[in-house]
Amino acid sequence: MIVANERWLDALTGEYLLGTLRGAARRRYERALREEPLVAGRLEFWQGILTPRYSKMVELQPSSRSWSRLESELELARYRTPWYRKLSFWRGWAVATTAALVLAIAFQTLRPVQQPPAQVEIARLAGKNGEAVAVAAMSPDQRMVELRSLRAVQAGPTQSYELWLIPAEGGAAISIAVLGSLDAHFALPPAQVGKLRTGAKLAVTLEPAGGSPTGVATGPVLWLGEIKS
Amino acid sequence: MLDDREIKRLLLHVAARDEGSADAFERLYKACAPLLLGIAQRIVNRREVAEEVLHDGLSTIWKSAESFDPLGMQPVAWMAAIVRNRAIDVISNANVSRVESFHEGAEENPDGLLDRLFEWSADPGEAEDSRRAAAWLRGCLGELKAVERQSLVLAYDRGMSHGDLAAHLQQPLGTVKTWVRRGMENLRACVEACMGGTR
Repeated sequence: MIVANERWLDALTGEYLLGTLRGAARRRYERALREEPLVAGRLEFWQGILTPRYSKMVELQPSSRSWSRLESELELARYRTPWYRKLSFWRGWAVATTAALVLAIAFQTLRPVQQPPAQVEIARLAGKNGEAVAVAAMSPDQRMVELRSLRAVQAGPTQSYELWLIPAEGGAAISIAVLGSLDAHFALPPAQVGKLRTGAKLAVTLEPAGGSPTGVATGPVLWLGEIKS
Repeated sequence: MLDDREIKRLLLHVAARDEGSADAFERLYKACAPLLLGIAQRIVNRREVAEEVLHDGLSTIWKSAESFDPLGMQPVAWMAAIVRNRAIDVISNANVSRVESFHEGAEENPDGLLDRLFEWSADPGEAEDSRRAAAWLRGCLGELKAVERQSLVLAYDRGMSHGDLAAHLQQPLGTVKTWVRRGMENLRACVEACMGGTR
């Protein structure tokens, strides 16, 4: 193309960009664009002026087949990131692994707990004034004992509560548990299983922290209750 | 829509033709195809043809991504230019009178349309240069005569040829040609004056 003068080139370039340059004239202009740097320079200048940004109002959603058609025609599969190199894969992997771990932990944690069997109330422990402060209950297999306080009772930092069994047939009180509070769930010492039966008594004494050092009650009896099973 | 810097990054990734290029192209597609289809539709005015133009335009973008100059044009403008070019080629070759289909545009107040169609306010992700250029363009379009402004907007936005404009505006061909030519001259002079003012 012969570029007669700059003003004429400007007019052509403007109309090319605008879209009003059509047909053979448009083809000629495009050829000049490839061949003559002056033309490309003018187009660049015009593009700097005439590039309005369309608003979102213009947008239309392409048909669903549009992307898959491009993908197959341009053979895009050759330029895909392999699945094992994708960040999203590792992210997904991390999420999945974490989820599996959480499940495994939850399973391990939940399994031994299982559903605790219904406890049967066996005694109410009351003070000298007759007010009950705790309920004792036992599992049906008589191996587990649960204490549940009826009002908040807690041993001081240098003290412990000790729970004793006073057998129905008489004899020395037998230590069953050392407690910090009257809310507790514990296994009965195997030797005492079956001994928490009607007629026996449960007593709570106040002892030094860690329980009676001698194996017999050293402090005052705080609460006492007769077993009715 | 992603910001210009992100789109530029995706285009460069497409151009690199490595194993992530298709993924980058897919993200580019998701971000820009609705806009590009919208631009095509405004020019060709038939949905199935617009979808074809979008397809061809995106194929060109994929194939010529390496020729995208990251220091030159804004990336969305570069892609839009490819799609507009394809759309103009398609309507130039179609031997159909397109004028009837522009009635909806005829009822629009051209100045109101100008502000709804384009985003003139500054985009936070936009470079200072293009922000300034947008302000100049809007200001200078406002200073044109109404007939010139209307001719330029219809030609740019709806892809109207001189003949389409003459039929649509019901004016002699020579008159609309003059409006377009003078409109572009005045626009250039005005923007150049703005540029001069900042230097």
